[in-house]
Amino acid sequence: MSAAPAEVKLPETDDDQAADRPWIVIVWNDPINLMSYVVLVFQKLFGYSREKATELMLDVHHKGRAVVSSGTREKAELDVFRLHEHGLWATMRQD
Amino acid sequence: MFGRNKRNARIASVAGGYGLRLDDRERVLIRQILGDMRALLMLDAGDPRVRRLYPSAYADDAAKEDEYRRLTHEELRSARLANVDTVEASIDASTLTEEQLTAWMQAINSLRLVLGTLLDINDDDQELSFDPDDPEARTQALYGYLGGLLDEIVDAQLEALER
Repeated sequence: MSAAPAEVKLPETDDDQAADRPWIVIVWNDPINLMSYVVLVFQKLFGYSREKATELMLDVHHKGRAVVSSGTREKAELDVFRLHEHGLWATMRQD
Repeated sequence: MFGRNKRNARIASVAGGYGLRLDDRERVLIRQILGDMRALLMLDAGDPRVRRLYPSAYADDAAKEDEYRRLTHEELRSARLANVDTVEASIDASTLTEEQLTAWMQAINSLRLVLGTLLDINDDDQELSFDPDDPEARTQALYGYLGGLLDEIVDAQLEALER
């Protein structure tokens, strides 16, 4: 087993401030997925309470979409992938 | 939304898993549609019938979207084929583990997405009129049946989460 590598601080090569802005994951309303199913998926994937998951589901249902998570691009992409695995219509963009 | 009478539920949360009470005709029907599901999963992700199974991640960035598709489409397909295998292997079971029930839920939901696409469901409150002479009658009936079963699977899992 190798020793832990020394932490190397890479120089900031990306001077684009935009790179630091978080990514947001949006779930869009769709007419096929059951409302109860969407609540369950939000609870299971994100660990949200029943109340929080229900509130987000109702936002999706009534407003057409809701932001369900945010973070680095990698985290957002993983969240989107897991939502897609569950058949939900999710997209991501930089905030 | 979740407070319906559970006495006749086909799926019930029990100690160590979930009880599955399906009659023989239901098990035969589900076994039959697993074959259809496999065939649908073998279709190209760009096929309009399965487009709902492969949504876009980046709505306004074609390059990132291409990369996302390249990285995820095969994984989405193989995960869904694995779910179908799990349902087939446990089709005669009287109890399911959490993992097995999740595979059932995913498989049924995937199939509903495809059937809903074929039926052109595009309104939240769309009422499906049932006419046995309609060429889509079988698809409609199956869509309705799977929706009921999925609802019970979801309720059982929601109930288990509250424990």
